[in-house]
Amino acid sequence: MFEPLRPIPPGRRTALGVLFFVLFIAAWAGATFGGLVKPLFLADPLKTLNAGISLFAEFGFLGDVAMTIWRVVGGFAIAAVVAVPLGIAMGAFKPVEAFFEPFISFARYLPASAFIPLLILWAGIGEAQKLALIFIGSFFQIVLMVAVTVGATRMDLVEAAYTLGADRTGIVRRVILPGAAPAIAETLRLVLGWAWTYVIVAELIGASSGIGHMIMDSQRLLDTGQMIFGIFVIGVIGLISDFLFKSLNERLFPWNFGR
Amino acid sequence: MSRLRVEEVARTFPGVRGGPPTVALQPTDIEVADNDFITILGPSGCGKSTLLRIVAGLDRPSSGRVVLDGKPVTGPGRDRGMVFQSYTLFPWLSVADNIAFGPRERGVPKPEQDALVARYVERVGLKGFEHHYPKMLSGGMQQRTALARALANDPAILLLDEPFGALDNQTRALMQELLLGIWEADRKTVLFVTHDIEEAIFMANRVAVMSARPGRIKTDLRIDLPHPRHYTIKTTPEFAAYKARLTDEIREESIRAAAMVP
Repeated sequence: MFEPLRPIPPGRRTALGVLFFVLFIAAWAGATFGGLVKPLFLADPLKTLNAGISLFAEFGFLGDVAMTIWRVVGGFAIAAVVAVPLGIAMGAFKPVEAFFEPFISFARYLPASAFIPLLILWAGIGEAQKLALIFIGSFFQIVLMVAVTVGATRMDLVEAAYTLGADRTGIVRRVILPGAAPAIAETLRLVLGWAWTYVIVAELIGASSGIGHMIMDSQRLLDTGQMIFGIFVIGVIGLISDFLFKSLNERLFPWNFGR
Repeated sequence: MSRLRVEEVARTFPGVRGGPPTVALQPTDIEVADNDFITILGPSGCGKSTLLRIVAGLDRPSSGRVVLDGKPVTGPGRDRGMVFQSYTLFPWLSVADNIAFGPRERGVPKPEQDALVARYVERVGLKGFEHHYPKMLSGGMQQRTALARALANDPAILLLDEPFGALDNQTRALMQELLLGIWEADRKTVLFVTHDIEEAIFMANRVAVMSARPGRIKTDLRIDLPHPRHYTIKTTPEFAAYKARLTDEIREESIRAAAMVP
């Protein structure tokens, strides 16, 4: 059963994945219903669920969720639209890489959250500030990861294309881009996950709507049920977007998934 | 008339980390006549692939030049189609789209591309696999596709760099017959690099034997075996005589090459 690297049937795979969720919730229920933790610090599963229902039914939580999703997708899309072409240019053309790479490697280590006070000063606490934060958090990561992917293009394929009469444009368009596309899509999936962290941070600090704002409000009311539910919703949305991204990739790049 | 002329081509690779430079190829001359099939036979590391890459324009000679149809070679181009030892099909393209790569790149209209694909899929025996991705093909099928891809682009000369080197013996023998059959029908000019003596004799009209590194052509042997050749020719006394002679030559070089290893 524990033979290294041996695959398991899909049914068992799903069952094992679900099993962990069940055990996790069971442990949570045990700790709270069994009185191991004070309700003030950790709400029990039932209370959390009730808090969630009232959030949607009475407090218009759906609007917060939509707001947060909009911010993530907006900021991330703006970052991706600029970062992907720049990353491709850097990976494909070494002078472009030499020009941008040192600065971007430096900028990548600047913690995006540390920009929040500055961004509030510059852009207030409106949408521009949230989008800017997500942009800063995602942009440099995408650029570097795409550049590395493109730079790792198989040289033998480039040479084969040259002997078939491809010119430089042909090499970029018909070898480098299609070859790097699946890994670029994978990079975007990964960075989108990080963008979720930034949006919540932005909403915790200065916002009047969104999931992060709701969590902050609940803290003032010591409503751990609502806080846990909010965090839980973020996890679920992340899981869904990840799944959508994955199945989109499999449809766009069937050659990469052997069938 | 000679189609390809390699004139005094030499290649020296710069030393790595202050080490001495490596002479891969001594000044080498070779002429390939129109419609000829020449194999370059040599022990591993003798610079035969370097020579072929220079002809392809993928590497630059340190001195000397390559002239194809009267024009000096300055870089890679579609007039010199190549099949590599490693699998170089584009993984994101189907067999058909791989074969159509060259024609599409030079703007051949789609219906003509389709006709070319159909013709070459047929010739290399891959009917029914047009829509498969390379990942789904065996090594032999991938190399047949690579051969079709190079031929569909109608190069002036076909360069083959140990194209069957990674295949098992049986598949390799079948691939040799397939390529020879195509050559006997089309008489495309071919320069074929290999370290396999039988393969060199079976395929070629001329075998150029290279010395151990630094490489140079030490023997240029005509193979006067009649065409069309059947695989049974490998058991004839004439074939055996060529094989005995080339085995001696290559053995000598292999011993020299082995002695040079520290």
